[in-house]
Amino acid sequence: MRSRMARNVGFLFLILSLAICQAAIFQPISDSHRSAALELFSPTDGSFASLEETYEALRTFQILGLEKEAVLSPETCTLVVKNLRSSSSNPKDLFYALRVNSILKCEVDADILVGISSKLQAMVRDASSLLDFYHSIGSLVLIKDWGSDGNVLLADADGTFHSIKALSQSDGRWRHSSNGAESSIYASGLALEALAGVVSLSSSEIDQSLIGTVKNDIVKLFDSLEKYDDGAFYFDEKLVDAREDQGPLSTSASVVRGLAAFTAVTSGKLNLPGDRILGLAKFFLGVGVPGSAKDLFNQIDSLDKFCYTNSFSWYRVSIPLILSLPATVLSLTNKNQLKVKVNTVLGSDAPPLTVKLVQAFRSSSKEAPLVENQELMFDPESMTHSLDLLPMGFDVGKYIFVFRVLLHDPEDKKIYATGGQTQVPIFITGFIKIDSAEIAVLDSDLQSTGSKQKLDLSGETSLSLSANHLQKLRLSFQLTTSLGQPFKPDQVFLKLTHETKVEHIFVVGNSGSQFEIILDFLRLVEKFYYLSGRYDIQLTVGDAAMENSFLQALGHVELDLPEPPEKASRPPLQPVDSYSRYGPKQEISHIFRSPEKRPAQELSLAFLALTILPLFGFLIGLVRLGVNLKNFPTAVGPATYAILFHAGIAAVLSLYLLFWLKLDLFTTLKALGFLGAFLLFVGHRTLAHLASTSAKLKSA
Amino acid sequence: MAKLSIFLTFISLLPLLCYSFSPENPTDRKILVLLDNAAIKSSHSIFFKSLQTRGFKLDFKLADDPNLTLQRYGRYLYDALILFSPSTKRFGGSLDFAAILEFVDSGHDLIVAADASASDLIRNIATECGVDFDEDSAARVIDHTSYAVSETEGDHTVIAADDFIQSNAILGNKKIEASSSLWIGHTLNAANNLVLKVLSASPSAYSANPEIKLSSPPSLTGSAISLVSVAQARNNARILISGSLDLFSNRLFRSGVQKAGRSTKHEKSGNEQFVTELSKWVFHERGHLKAVNVRHHKVGETTEPAIYRINDNLEYSIEIYEWSGVSWEPYVADDVQVQFYMMSPYVLKTLSTDKKGLYSTSFRVPDVYGVFQFKVEYQRLGYTTLSLSNQIPVRPFRHNEYERFLPAAFPYYGASFSTMAGFFVFTIVYLYNK
Repeated sequence: MRSRMARNVGFLFLILSLAICQAAIFQPISDSHRSAALELFSPTDGSFASLEETYEALRTFQILGLEKEAVLSPETCTLVVKNLRSSSSNPKDLFYALRVNSILKCEVDADILVGISSKLQAMVRDASSLLDFYHSIGSLVLIKDWGSDGNVLLADADGTFHSIKALSQSDGRWRHSSNGAESSIYASGLALEALAGVVSLSSSEIDQSLIGTVKNDIVKLFDSLEKYDDGAFYFDEKLVDAREDQGPLSTSASVVRGLAAFTAVTSGKLNLPGDRILGLAKFFLGVGVPGSAKDLFNQIDSLDKFCYTNSFSWYRVSIPLILSLPATVLSLTNKNQLKVKVNTVLGSDAPPLTVKLVQAFRSSSKEAPLVENQELMFDPESMTHSLDLLPMGFDVGKYIFVFRVLLHDPEDKKIYATGGQTQVPIFITGFIKIDSAEIAVLDSDLQSTGSKQKLDLSGETSLSLSANHLQKLRLSFQLTTSLGQPFKPDQVFLKLTHETKVEHIFVVGNSGSQFEIILDFLRLVEKFYYLSGRYDIQLTVGDAAMENSFLQALGHVELDLPEPPEKASRPPLQPVDSYSRYGPKQEISHIFRSPEKRPAQELSLAFLALTILPLFGFLIGLVRLGVNLKNFPTAVGPATYAILFHAGIAAVLSLYLLFWLKLDLFTTLKALGFLGAFLLFVGHRTLAHLASTSAKLKSA
Repeated sequence: MAKLSIFLTFISLLPLLCYSFSPENPTDRKILVLLDNAAIKSSHSIFFKSLQTRGFKLDFKLADDPNLTLQRYGRYLYDALILFSPSTKRFGGSLDFAAILEFVDSGHDLIVAADASASDLIRNIATECGVDFDEDSAARVIDHTSYAVSETEGDHTVIAADDFIQSNAILGNKKIEASSSLWIGHTLNAANNLVLKVLSASPSAYSANPEIKLSSPPSLTGSAISLVSVAQARNNARILISGSLDLFSNRLFRSGVQKAGRSTKHEKSGNEQFVTELSKWVFHERGHLKAVNVRHHKVGETTEPAIYRINDNLEYSIEIYEWSGVSWEPYVADDVQVQFYMMSPYVLKTLSTDKKGLYSTSFRVPDVYGVFQFKVEYQRLGYTTLSLSNQIPVRPFRHNEYERFLPAAFPYYGASFSTMAGFFVFTIVYLYNK
């Protein structure tokens, strides 16, 4: 098989000077992939979940040149042999066991392989679904490559070829099985690999017309490629129930694997557009570092197919060489050298070659190029091509460098594609000198009122100026590069911020190296919303090529502006500070009504005593008058009534006392009702008796 | 057959419905992820994987998928939506601008990431959420003093920003390193007070097209530029708007960051931590509060009265818990306040806590009667809003509840009772004196 591949090497050094790396954004596989691989393929307690994962880990590590011991436990081989020995293994397990074995080269008895191959032969005969074909034929190919002397060749290769081909659709896709399964691009990749296996396992030559139809299918399949803006092409499944892991990466990888396998075993030209093939390679590079183990395997395995001559010959294009720059930002202060690396997509070393700087010009101007046709020095130790920038007279700024790769050995030109010219934007940065910075407040006739103040823009400044609306503020400074050329940064802003956070930004203009801004406050009053008060001044000078970009508070200016007219616009709403909006609120406590003012208790008690005094006076008066009770009835009946009458009066009076002490009005009135009636009765009897006795006395 | 299939669909939906968002379990469950192209799924896989390991079910769809829908039979199929489809001009299926706003209005969460190719659709969604992107679609945030040092990116549009919002609720309590990416600047609508800057640009930043020399001042400058913003709607729906889709990418998760002018280079940028913490907040794994067991009673009693009298002393207590993503944990703060409110707060008092979720205080009912409310309006940065009110009437004194034996009135009482005593003696003397 190898020899046939070698025949194809360099068969067509295609029109593709098509640079895979024209925009220099596609970086080759690098150490970040290796560290990602070590991170992603980390077996849980010493082994992977399945042999499939083990194979993916081993294959990725093999391509990246990593130590496979890092992910492998010694039991893996035992597991492989156990799987091969087991009679109940399904084709998928056998397939991945053989694949792992093909990398690990475990010790497997020849008779086991013979047994398996006859079992696989039977499987191929009975297979109905695409996956069965893929796994069993793939296994047979692996046994054949292993060099086993078992019967691996297919008896009815044409028949098998037909039954696989029968699953294909008119648009180049394949179905997984004949009973109504939906067709997919992913399946096409599997089918192509299986067909390639059939071709290599056939004892006789397969019918060329059959192979021709498959090639037509492939061409149709490539019509469904989708494109990104940056020139990358990919396959994407438009299936409603696509499995979770069937993204464009796995689909494209499947097709690339199938295509590589198929074209490796067949001869003759496959009419595929070259830009699409390179676009596919760009797609895999453009993915960057994938986040899952499966994606990483798909990316690395597919890129590998593009890179090794033996499998790469499948589209008869040479190996693309990628020109990459470790740094495109070069500092004049640090005397950085321009360094260029040339690698293959997988990051391996390129053959002897020269990198030439064809042109270098400023990106902004269309001037004549600064440098033309300069060869870069090659350092064999670090495998980099370098160029000293200082003697070339480059000043700070943004440049575009155009490179070209020239191979030394004419034979290499047939194997490698160097691309045409590669344009790379380069930033050359440096230190900018700031001189003669001044600020002054001027009268309207540009006569300075105060003295000009020198500013030190590299240190602290704290200006304190004041001006009214008839005056002007003038700020000026000079910027020059280290080569003494005037420098115009992208960002030269003067910012005035009022106490109320209203900001005004001015772009400082220049003529040559002299930067100057004059703020005429008379014209600006409206823009300033007539807001008088303290304005903080801030100067920002910055540029991509300026290493000492700065933002500096210069101080403040006290502005005295006229009162706003009625129709003046209001300053815009300033966003509220989010921290202050959410704080706790001030506590509120209720202020209770203050109680009425009352006299001191002693005073009340003194008056209480005073109010009781007349009662004593009355009693003393009665004693002094010599009152007696001789008129009290003597007879038992009237005496009883008299006693009851007075007891009744005492009861009513005590009821009043009780009313005051505890009773409510209703209880009191109720009791008073009964007492009143009783009192009326006994009172009447008592008074009647008294009246009759006094009448008797008179008559007597 | 058709009936059977409907039945089967319903049965298969049942566990899903039970599993979705509920007040007792506020973390989102099902998330729809809309992508521009399927490559984003693998280039941003670390972010998606971290969501999946936290128990979210992600449903990846292309933004132009013709079967897109957020709801079926009037019920939402998802609890949250991630729009990683900045360049989409129109969504497929029944999904459109209005459907997304309605989704948020019904309390669901949203993550929107824009990039240089942000379409009008994405810009309009952001505008509805109170975030205005720079109108110039070619503008990037440029910062010549705090850019991320890089040997390959020279135009200072990759910025290492570390001006994070100071809120443990939103960003967790671990320090986050500078987060670097290429940003599209936006500003917050000053009239919208629900939206917050989570990550703002440094004072020297400005938003402009790096290819063009500036002649007039850029519209967005300084720390007014927001790089990542969040909003929490009044219904506690949370929205994250990022000025960068790359922020979530594996590439920037892995890459280191060195801020210009600093000598330390961090092996890993803060992107992963920042995005993970932020997504925890957006999907209600943090900062979600609930208040239960609101109790109030008179001092010395335990039963809740139907009415209070003026000048009563009462005790008020409430329990507040925070959702930790798995369980309700006691919420500890010292700034929960209760208001005794009728038209305006009569009493506003800070509650004291026992650190186990119980907040309590006691105060005296004001001497104003009417229908009052106990109000707890708890709005804190990053937390969901607690808004509780219990209505309670307050009555004046009854006639027999006033003070009865005033010393000041003793002379009056003394006068009447001495008169009464005099009257009693007088009746006897008058009737029986001879």
